[in-house]
Parts: sequence; C-alpha cells; structure tokens
Amino acid sequence: MSARRLFAILYLLLALGFIFLPVVMLVQYSFQDGLVPVPPFRGFSLRWYDAFLANDRLIHAMGNSTLVAIASSAVATALGFLAAYGMARRKRRLNLWLQLLLMAPIAVSYLIIAMGLLIVFNWLGISRSLLAVGIGHVVINLPLCFAIVYSQLGEHQANIERAAHDLGASDLKALLLITVPMLWPALLAGFLIAATLSWDEFVIAFLLSKFEVTMPVMIWSMLRSGLNPALNAAGTIVFAISILFVILIELLQARSRRHG
Amino acid sequence: MAEAGKEPLVRLEGLCKSYDAQVAVERFDLTIAKGEFVVLLGPSGSGKTTVLSMLGGFTEPSEGRVLIEGVDVTGLPPAKRPTATVFQDYALFPHMSVRANVGFGLAMRKVGKSERDARAEEVLKLVGLEGFGSRRVHQLSGGQRQRVALARAIAVKPAVLLLDEPLGALDLALRRQMQEELVHIQKRLGTSFVHVTHDQEEAMSVADTIVVMNKGRVEDRGAPARIYRRPASLFTATFMGENNILPAKLAARSGDELTLETVLGRFLLGNSKDLAGLQAGATLHIALRPEQIFPAATAPEDAVPLGQAALAELVFQGTHWRAHAKAGPGGKVPLLLRLPPELAPAVGQSLDLYARPQDMTALTH
Repeated sequence: MSARRLFAILYLLLALGFIFLPVVMLVQYSFQDGLVPVPPFRGFSLRWYDAFLANDRLIHAMGNSTLVAIASSAVATALGFLAAYGMARRKRRLNLWLQLLLMAPIAVSYLIIAMGLLIVFNWLGISRSLLAVGIGHVVINLPLCFAIVYSQLGEHQANIERAAHDLGASDLKALLLITVPMLWPALLAGFLIAATLSWDEFVIAFLLSKFEVTMPVMIWSMLRSGLNPALNAAGTIVFAISILFVILIELLQARSRRHG
Repeated sequence: MAEAGKEPLVRLEGLCKSYDAQVAVERFDLTIAKGEFVVLLGPSGSGKTTVLSMLGGFTEPSEGRVLIEGVDVTGLPPAKRPTATVFQDYALFPHMSVRANVGFGLAMRKVGKSERDARAEEVLKLVGLEGFGSRRVHQLSGGQRQRVALARAIAVKPAVLLLDEPLGALDLALRRQMQEELVHIQKRLGTSFVHVTHDQEEAMSVADTIVVMNKGRVEDRGAPARIYRRPASLFTATFMGENNILPAKLAARSGDELTLETVLGRFLLGNSKDLAGLQAGATLHIALRPEQIFPAATAPEDAVPLGQAALAELVFQGTHWRAHAKAGPGGKVPLLLRLPPELAPAVGQSLDLYARPQDMTALTH
C-alpha cells in the first residue's frame, strides 16, 4: 500500500470519527449497565430503554414531535408543490424574484426566524404552542419542498400535462390524475426531508413552545438536571428515527433513478 | 386537395403569431382534405411547430382563424378540439401502464373500462404492440414509446392527428421503418395527419403534400416530386436536398421561352409561366440538381454542354460518386456532382459536363 493511499484512508477514518464519535458514544452509553453514562462502559443493558418507556413526559414529547413533524411537513409539501406548480406553469417576469423570496428563509438563521415569529405571533395573539412550532417548521421547510418539486417540473412534464389536456382532461383532472401522481416521488422526498428536519429541530421548537414541548426540547430541559442514561436512550431513538427517514429518502432516490 | 365547393376538413386562415416583437408565423393559410398526409417542413425557427401548436390549441394565434370540419375552433382549448397530438418527447404518463396511457383519452370521455381496454388492445395491435398493455412506460424502448404515443393519440379517433417531429429521437434505421409504418397506418385509418419535421427525406417519404416554411412564411407547397423537381424558391431549392445555384441573366424572351445567360453558357428554358413579368436584363438564378449534371459518357442526347470542370473532391457513396468540381472560366464556379458509380474518376481530372435545359429551374427569389 502506498503512503499516499495510507494517508487517504487515515484521513477518511479521522473525518468519519470526528463526525460519528459523539453519536457512537451516545448510542453506546444508552446501553450502559450503570447509573451514569460516562466511561468506562460497564456492559450491555436495556434498563435505560425501560426507564425511557416508563417516562410519560418523554413519551408524550415524542408524540408531540411526531405530530408536529407530520403536520408541518404535509403543509410545507402542499404549499411548496402549489408554489412550484404555479411558477413552472405560468411564466412571469416576476418569477425570478418570487423564487428568490421563496428560497430566502434558507439563508436566515433559525434563531432569527424564531424571534421574528415570536413577534408576529405576539401581535396576532397566537400563544407559544405546538401550533406555533409547526408554523415555524413550515417556514423553514417550505423552501426545501418548493425547490425539490420545482426541479422536477421541466418542459417534459409540461408536455405530459399538455398531452392530458389534449386527450380531454380538465385542469383539475390533469392535476389529480397526472401531475400529482407523476410528481409523487418528489413530493414524498420533500415530505421526508421536511419531516427529518422538523423531527429533531431545537431552536424554533424551544422558543415557540411553552407547556407542550417536542422531544428535543424535553431532552434539553431534562439534561439541565444532570446526565441521565435514559436521555441517551431517548437521544438514540430520535437518532434512529432520523436515520430511518434518511434511508427512506435514499431508497426513493435510487428508485426514481432506476425508473429514469 | 378538397373537391371544389366542398368544405375541406381543416382550414387555416391568415394565421399570425408574434411573441413580443418577434414574428413566429406570418399570414399562414392552409387547407387539409380528409385523409391527406401534410408535412410542414422547415429549419428550426421557421414557425412550423407554432403552426401545429395553433392547430392543436396549445398556442393562441395573434390573428387568423382555425376551422376544423367547418367549425371555428380558434378560441377552443385542446380538450375541446377534434385533434390529438403525438409529442416530440412522447409525453407518456410515466406512472401508468401502456394500456392506461392508451385508454386515457377514452376515460376522459367517460367510456367504460372494458370498452376502453378493448379499444386500447385494438389500437396497440395497429401500431405493432399487441400484448404490451400491462407493461410500464419505463420498460419500453424509444421506438416502443413512440408507438404508444401514436396509439394513445389514435385511440380517441381524432379528425386530425398532429405529429410534432415524432421520429426525431429515433436512430436512422428505426426512423425509416417508422416512416413506412406511419404511412400504412395513416392510409388504413383514413385520418388526416399533419406532421412537422426538419428532415426533407422524411418529408418526401411520408407526405401527400409538403408545405415548406422559412422564417414564418410559406416558401412552397405541393406534392413531394414537384417540390423536389420544380422548387418555387431559392430557399426550397437548397433546403430540399442538394442543389447547384447558378446566377443568370435574362438575355431574351419569346412567349414562354426564356434565353438565360450564365457563365456556363446560354440556355433556352421553356415552361416558365411564373416568370411572366420578367424583362430582358433581369437577374435570376438557375437551380440544377447534382444528379442532373452528366459526364460525356452518360449524357442524354438532348443535353447541352456546360464546359469543362476539374474534380476537386471525391467521395464514393455506393449509388454514386459525390464530387465537388470547379467549372467555368478560371474554375470559379463550384459545382456539386453525382457521377455514376461505374465511372472511375480521379481528383484533378477534367470532365466535360452536360445538362438538359428542361431539368433547370429558373428562380427569381
């Protein structure tokens, strides 16, 4: 093995270690057979998963996270689709500016978005709640969903819709029978990415919620009272579900590549 | 052409289309008879696709009318017109089976499932895809997709079938085969086809009538043989196959007969009613096909000499030698020739060339 190749492999291992070591530690110590999640590792046990499952507050928070992730992603996907569809099908001079405006939230920090929303909600009389968190997640995920769907709406797709109209389909029928099913992989990918990001988002969820909180916020508040292996178990589950979403997205992309 | 007094199937009247300041189509008139195969032929940007699009209802004309079966459909959307389009990229519905694609138009017309499937199978058989109904679109080859697109459009029994460069994406052999099949299918159905292409060979192989377009205007229209042999304009003469264009001057005229003066000699041309208004001294051009120029060995008896030409380039193409030659005084007139394959010409060789005046076409524009 050449020195060059050896260096490349070492570099790769270092980079991967840097990225994954914290997660590996978290996952490993969620199986710690002892009272504190610090080295040395005392052996394998599922007791902290028992503790997690017995913790009503954590389970409830996980339910909240699921609700917010699904609802906000569905709304972001629907709005992103409509925006992309409208812009792709009605060419206007303003399109470029509209596109910039729609994509702008990606460049704004979550903290700024959360603060802005706090001010607006305060003004509108919407209290800090899961609804507020969900709206916040729609704000940050809409640009992604828009971009994913918009990238799939080219001249070829426009011709497919023209063909549907040519064969006698009304606008509504063409949309429901052709456009939406045709874009199904893009819509699902948008939904899954939005759900992944919403699921473990902390800043907006923290600033916009009050009594009902999501899982990351609950973990954070419990961490303040000290390290607890049950939280490692909770973190591992959050991580595992995120990974599941990412795998689904990858599978979806592999599938649409195959079908060209 | 339609019989006198009978309304043609399709009538396009004074169609104009401009985008901002750009004129795409200018005062386009066309009538299409029932069962006629019309090809709109032209280079890209000639407006041929825009005409097709206005006929199908996808583009609204700036001026003019579209009449189909005597009904003014100018303001109607594609769904309400008795037309169906085969798109260049096929535009098949990717999430549906072949059968569902072909049956889609009938489903939109509220035809029941069993009847739809039966019709789909019938049309698939017509395009040579019997038994392909349950395949998915992504499992098909390019040629098969093309056939499905054709079947899908035929299934709704349109009065006019519109084809937008349908064979453009196929390789040469498959394109030739599909050209023949298109003609067979069209003759069997008796449906009028309007086919857009930039390929003049394709136009000649399928058309009853060719409409040659350039820069939004009609350059020429007529049967393929007439357009090839007697093009009406310089553009048509050079766009439809290879041609030699010689500058000429009208030396004298007596009745329909014109005496034309060129650097390769004086030629007496008859049959030129189109040039009736031309006075002696006017400048014009003569179009002469490469295969209409003969070496001494094969020249017909009524051919007249064009003088000597030196061969500059030679390519053997099976049915003939394609040759670039330099003719005229000082070798200043480039000529494209098709020499017989049994000849053994050599670069640098000088040939005596001949042509028949009746093969020459005099053109003013």
